[in-house]
Amino acid sequence: MLQKTRKRVTDNEGRENMTELSYEKIQKAYKDKITIQKTWSGFTVKDCYSSEDVRPEVMNEIAMPGVYPFKRGIHHDMYKGKLWTKRIVTGMGTGKETNERIRFQVEQGISGLNTVVDTPTHLGIDADHPWAKGQIGTDGVNITSMRDMELLTEGIPLDKVSWSLVFCCNESPVLLPMYFAVAQERGIPLDKLKGTVQNDPLHFRYCGYRVNAVLGLSEKGAADIIEYCTKYVPQWYTTTVNCYDLRENGLNAAQEIGYGFSIMMVYINEALKRGLHIDDFAPRLAFYISAHIDFFEEIAKFRAARSVWAKLLKERFGAKDPKSMQLKYAIHTAGRSLYSKQPLNNIVRIACETMAAAIGGAQSIHCCGYDEPIALPTEASNTLALRTQQVVAYETGVARVVDPMGGSYYVESLTARLEEEIWKCIKDIDNQGGMAEAMRTGWLDKEIEEESYRRQKAIEDKEEIVVGVNEFVTEMETTTLTGAQRVPEKIGREQIKAVKELKKTRNKKKVDQSIRHLREKAVSGDKENLIPAIMEAAKSYATLQEMWGTIREAYGLPYDVLGVLESPFKK
Amino acid sequence: MAARVVLTKIGLDGHERGVMGIGRNLMNQGMEVVYLGMFQTPGSIVKTVLEEDADVLGLSYHSGLHIYFTKKIISLLKKQDLKNDVLLIVGGVIPPEDIGTLKKMGVDEVFPSGSLINSISNYIVAKTSQARGRS
Repeated sequence: MLQKTRKRVTDNEGRENMTELSYEKIQKAYKDKITIQKTWSGFTVKDCYSSEDVRPEVMNEIAMPGVYPFKRGIHHDMYKGKLWTKRIVTGMGTGKETNERIRFQVEQGISGLNTVVDTPTHLGIDADHPWAKGQIGTDGVNITSMRDMELLTEGIPLDKVSWSLVFCCNESPVLLPMYFAVAQERGIPLDKLKGTVQNDPLHFRYCGYRVNAVLGLSEKGAADIIEYCTKYVPQWYTTTVNCYDLRENGLNAAQEIGYGFSIMMVYINEALKRGLHIDDFAPRLAFYISAHIDFFEEIAKFRAARSVWAKLLKERFGAKDPKSMQLKYAIHTAGRSLYSKQPLNNIVRIACETMAAAIGGAQSIHCCGYDEPIALPTEASNTLALRTQQVVAYETGVARVVDPMGGSYYVESLTARLEEEIWKCIKDIDNQGGMAEAMRTGWLDKEIEEESYRRQKAIEDKEEIVVGVNEFVTEMETTTLTGAQRVPEKIGREQIKAVKELKKTRNKKKVDQSIRHLREKAVSGDKENLIPAIMEAAKSYATLQEMWGTIREAYGLPYDVLGVLESPFKK
Repeated sequence: MAARVVLTKIGLDGHERGVMGIGRNLMNQGMEVVYLGMFQTPGSIVKTVLEEDADVLGLSYHSGLHIYFTKKIISLLKKQDLKNDVLLIVGGVIPPEDIGTLKKMGVDEVFPSGSLINSISNYIVAKTSQARGRS
């Protein structure tokens, strides 16, 4: 396509002096126009919006922030009262390496901690499991026992920080008690602890961890956490249902929220079965939501989500406390919107997504590193991610006013549209018999597969333009600007040694007793809350697999999710 | 004759959305695709390549283990005398710095995450026709 004619003209000394250039490309670029008529999620939009596009009842409902249904924001003053918590997800190697990175981040100005565990930990297996070799700490921090939790939290005052623990899956009901046990050993009362645990095993079935997110046992573990924290750790957010990962799978904005809310309803119903009242625990439920690349659609999504959540809690669950109806969510900027080609473009994408998140009224924001599609983030890319938030917060002015998009014809129209679509998605799941059933039958697998395929096709067919990927393409880079973060293999080998050593030197009698006690509790019924027994076992340095494997056996499952190891404990 | 492609994850990593999308697209373009799924070992992968008489082996990575496992797989392919018969492609979360390393190890091409599927299928068609042309 490109045609270039260049007349070589030289001066008297033979130096090339380009005086005439002719490019078809620049002529084409000059005439360029926006032709895509749909949002990222596929909703057709007009060229321009006016008051005629927003129904009178919607304009009347606009109300003010801090007022039901909270479309404009859950608090009347939002960031003038408290800025969103700046969290950057971290997890690498063992507790020691992650602790070092956390300290670095604190120096740079994060306001909350945010830690993710590695794949073996998500799968509920110990570092010395034969399958874990080579894969320890490469995509998160390895936590095998309370010793690792002690190293992770070394020197960090647990009663003075807010810690988001990204324990997603069936490892949550074991790892969270480990964290609480560490706090207790340090003399910190549980009611002083502030933080969040993801505790969303159902969604993690779609992230490659289905073997450790068994239906039935997953909901029981999740409910144990909600019930225990409601009673004993009242400042703790008990689940952060991960809409973000669903979106990463390729779902659209309405599905992300509708299906995410449907997952939360499973946990709500489990908690209600335990005799809790909705207002006892709903104020401490939270979500993890994506901030994707379609700026206005994302802002509309956040506003619509707040409105739907408030109505859902009030009308379906009879909530009376406004705190139950206020949607609280953390943002993860969209990893799927980032590409390894021309990776510096990602910095721009992340900045736009962060602005949308701030305008949308999030309670907490994690920004991806620009190197998200390349490797774990380096210190430099972590810092840049944080600086992005700081520039947005302090320089752009978007945080100065609550819901600055309120009243925009386009955004109000899109918000109303998204609210309708979200309700449709919730109804679809209701028609399947609820989210657990939709997962069991494979209905959700099909939806994800179709939507993901459509999304990829849109990029292949250039219905969706991605700069550097299907347009404005250049040669692939050969290096990463700030280097690629590596986790040396020896860290994993040392962790295996440390775990083996722990198993040799801990008080075997105490471990045996505590596991026996845990097993007794686990076989006594669904509603028996296992958290106290897990905390006791954790304090004896029983490991993640030993505890979770014992619980699995009590529920008729093999000790080991991978079917390789047998329980070392007598039944 | 349609190319026969084996695609797989390796080890514990379960981020399979990308590779499943690639598999579906390659099938739509007429290739025979066998997707092994998760929890594969280098041994189980190479065994399948042999049994399926595969033209192409595609490895999908997410967790920084692309050098660690690819080395083992290449070594097994060589032991089974398969290395010269199979086009080896690798994709996923791969730092650009490692593309050269992987190729030096014996990987034929690397498609980092976000690569257009058409670029993968065009490459496979071109290389497998070449290979058939030679044999």
